[in-house]
Amino acid sequence: MKKDKNKIKQLLVSIVGQENISGEIPDLIPYIRDSYSTMMGRNIPLPDFVVMPETVDEVQKIVLLANDYLIPIYPRSIGVNIAGSALPYKEGGIVLDLKRMNKILEINEDTMTATIQPGVTWGQLRKEANKKKLDIIPIGGPYQTSPVGNHLLTNITPYSSKYHCDRAMTLKVILPNGKILRTGSWASEHGGDANPYFRYAYGPDITGMFRGSLGNFGIIVEMVERLRPVAPVEKEIVFGFKELGPCLKALQAIERLEFTRTCQVYNNILSAHLCLAPHRIKEPGEREKLLAKLPPYQLGIGLGGTEEMVALFEKITAEEAGKRGGYSVPVELELESVAKGASRAIMHMYAPLSGFAAIIGCLPITHVAEINDIVKEAVKKYDVRDPLTGEPQEHELIVIPYDRSSTVYVEQEILYDPAADRATLEPVMQCLRECYAKIVVQYGASHTIPNKTLMKMLVPSYGELLVNFKKMVDPNGIMLPGGPYSLE
Amino acid sequence: MLTDYRSTIYHCLKCGACKQAFDIYMPICPSGMKYGFDSHYAIGRISLARAIIDGEINLDTALMHRVYTCTHCGACDEQCHNAVGVDPLRVIQELKYEAVDKGLIPPEVRDYLKNMNVYGNPYMLPAEDRGKWALNLDIKSFANQEYLFYVGDMGSYDALGQQIARSVAKALEAAGISFGILGDKEVTDGNDINLVGEKGLYEYFATANINLFKELSIKKIITLSPHAYNAFKNDYPAWGGDFEVQHYSQILAQAISNKKLKVKGIEKVKVTFHDPCFLGRHNKEYDAPRQILKAIPGVELVEMERSRNNALCCGGGGGNFFTDMLGSGTKSPSRIRVHEAIDTGAKIIATTCPKCFNMLDDAIKAENAEDQITIKDLSQFLL
Repeated sequence: MKKDKNKIKQLLVSIVGQENISGEIPDLIPYIRDSYSTMMGRNIPLPDFVVMPETVDEVQKIVLLANDYLIPIYPRSIGVNIAGSALPYKEGGIVLDLKRMNKILEINEDTMTATIQPGVTWGQLRKEANKKKLDIIPIGGPYQTSPVGNHLLTNITPYSSKYHCDRAMTLKVILPNGKILRTGSWASEHGGDANPYFRYAYGPDITGMFRGSLGNFGIIVEMVERLRPVAPVEKEIVFGFKELGPCLKALQAIERLEFTRTCQVYNNILSAHLCLAPHRIKEPGEREKLLAKLPPYQLGIGLGGTEEMVALFEKITAEEAGKRGGYSVPVELELESVAKGASRAIMHMYAPLSGFAAIIGCLPITHVAEINDIVKEAVKKYDVRDPLTGEPQEHELIVIPYDRSSTVYVEQEILYDPAADRATLEPVMQCLRECYAKIVVQYGASHTIPNKTLMKMLVPSYGELLVNFKKMVDPNGIMLPGGPYSLE
Repeated sequence: MLTDYRSTIYHCLKCGACKQAFDIYMPICPSGMKYGFDSHYAIGRISLARAIIDGEINLDTALMHRVYTCTHCGACDEQCHNAVGVDPLRVIQELKYEAVDKGLIPPEVRDYLKNMNVYGNPYMLPAEDRGKWALNLDIKSFANQEYLFYVGDMGSYDALGQQIARSVAKALEAAGISFGILGDKEVTDGNDINLVGEKGLYEYFATANINLFKELSIKKIITLSPHAYNAFKNDYPAWGGDFEVQHYSQILAQAISNKKLKVKGIEKVKVTFHDPCFLGRHNKEYDAPRQILKAIPGVELVEMERSRNNALCCGGGGGNFFTDMLGSGTKSPSRIRVHEAIDTGAKIIATTCPKCFNMLDDAIKAENAEDQITIKDLSQFLL
């Protein structure tokens, strides 16, 4: 690339304009940093350029150029990047920053969908959807993330019990070979633009191929995203439990009644962190005061419907929780916002000192208490300390049912101080590795995205299928080469 | 030292909360909106600071260009503080201090500081001209009145700033407030000098002001500009300058509330208020200007979506009014702000800062929007 760098820069300038491309070090450095990779001690190489296209046409031209000159491309949507999935992993190439593609192209009240570009955030989409009495079906993560980015990452939603975890209907994608793909009913060359709203058209679920693909198969430039109707009455209720087992049983029983809008279980450490603003949590005693008031485990339920429906659902829910020792507790404002998704309060779970190591697994609800114990024991074994107090750490736990609780998503967070030295961070890393090894091998807990380590643990034909699909759409290997999620 | 902020720098989660205002979900960083690259947002500047303290890169003028486009509006702190408890603005400021110490500042900043050093003002005008704004007005020099009315560099030298200084003085008189001015004895407040990173020069001017105020037995100060208000209120106490400081909008709001200032009605009109960053976000005063506007018969106050703690900066803070590091063009925050004001249906933008006034006045002209909207300082409604 070096000998052609000036020429390539000129070609890129001709596509996006001088002000939307930079090869200067101070502009490149911010694109090689994220929390997780820093903790892992990864040395992320510098790209040659960061480029900010605004249109589908510009993206396509850049991809074609990259094929002509064999330049790696590392796309990112809005740039909330804490898990190493949108970083360059080989020296040189182009970081494609898509934040200028931030338009909501349509909100269709009849189909309850929004057609959006990758730079649109959940918060931005919620604001516009609410104007039409619709709402997003967001991830549990914060408001400033991108629905397109999250489709590529397969993140989780507190609404998964009602709407599953997948809200993308159809996609418009620039494939790594430069061709434009449209999925679902949008695939029709002639009528597709009139009806881009139906996912399950024309055979296999190609929209689903991109879910969790982390950008390997192409750049989503437009996505038709499912919305939900805002019910006349929407209410969050919370029940406290002394033990995790009965709390999970209550979740299972209530989910099987099939009326909840959202549903999640969390432990008191997570609740306390969510409720306390980051500056408050650092005040000595604040967290302990709150912890003393909170039940050890909480079951949060979101209800929606007419007034009569919600009243009835609430009564039934309280009975089911009560049968298992659950008792009603006041809903903290922050927990209510977290339950609705795309909140700011969700950021507080990392906030004590902002460093976190997540242990994620999807598995039958039957084994949740056991994997919670595995993390507890590992934290104890490696003497992982609370970054705020220096006392033995109690980890955060959140459980969200997929598909009416036949399986659940379990996320357990070990917190650390990212400013600590490597020796202090090492036990966190060891703990993380041990927990993953156990929950994957013993319980088959699955992650939602493939990385190089996990790929080695899959049946060979699964990995081959993904790799061969990648080779088919990316014959020159330009998309995301070299990284842990590169499917190489 | 940048290394003193290691903990803050390492605690940046790279979540991008600094880019978008929570609740209204709109872009909030003026320099990020203008340039787009992450290096012009707090998230990127923190990454650069980390690369410096980790020894991966050295501080240089190219890097500092990305830092100096920051208008010190505080929008990133407002978001990040409540999301993850990090205050990036302090790190950005520290980068500027280090750049000045090492002489690695862009020419625009160097020239501004040179003018402040040589002339004591950014207009390169003599100190004797400072009191000229008050000519033909019956305003007394300070001589044990209750308040000093401090007009600062813009009130002294800038044509629009002088107009605002005169209208504020008239409003103070109408409210029966006892005040005097310093005229040619006035010394720059130094707020912008500090914000471009020249701590030593700031201390020099601050000390000169404090000594002068003490010498004249000044106890209470009314400022024309939110920038001077910020300096006197938040920084001067560290050098022994403990004065009772108010921005003029605060004392006029009290005067209206106490019925000491009678407000005349005007022809019915929609007005939107632009919150100056150094009155609002930096000093949490959002209500006093609105109280005044609401007290004026005929004024219908309409809010822009980005208002109060989520207000969009005009682009003139952090020394940018004089250095113009942020630059001009259609993506300038002041031009975006004018359109936001027009979208409310307002015919007038009201503000309480001579820098904001100038920036928005220029932006209205640049957008050829003179027939759609005008700008007025709050005091000009009271004449």
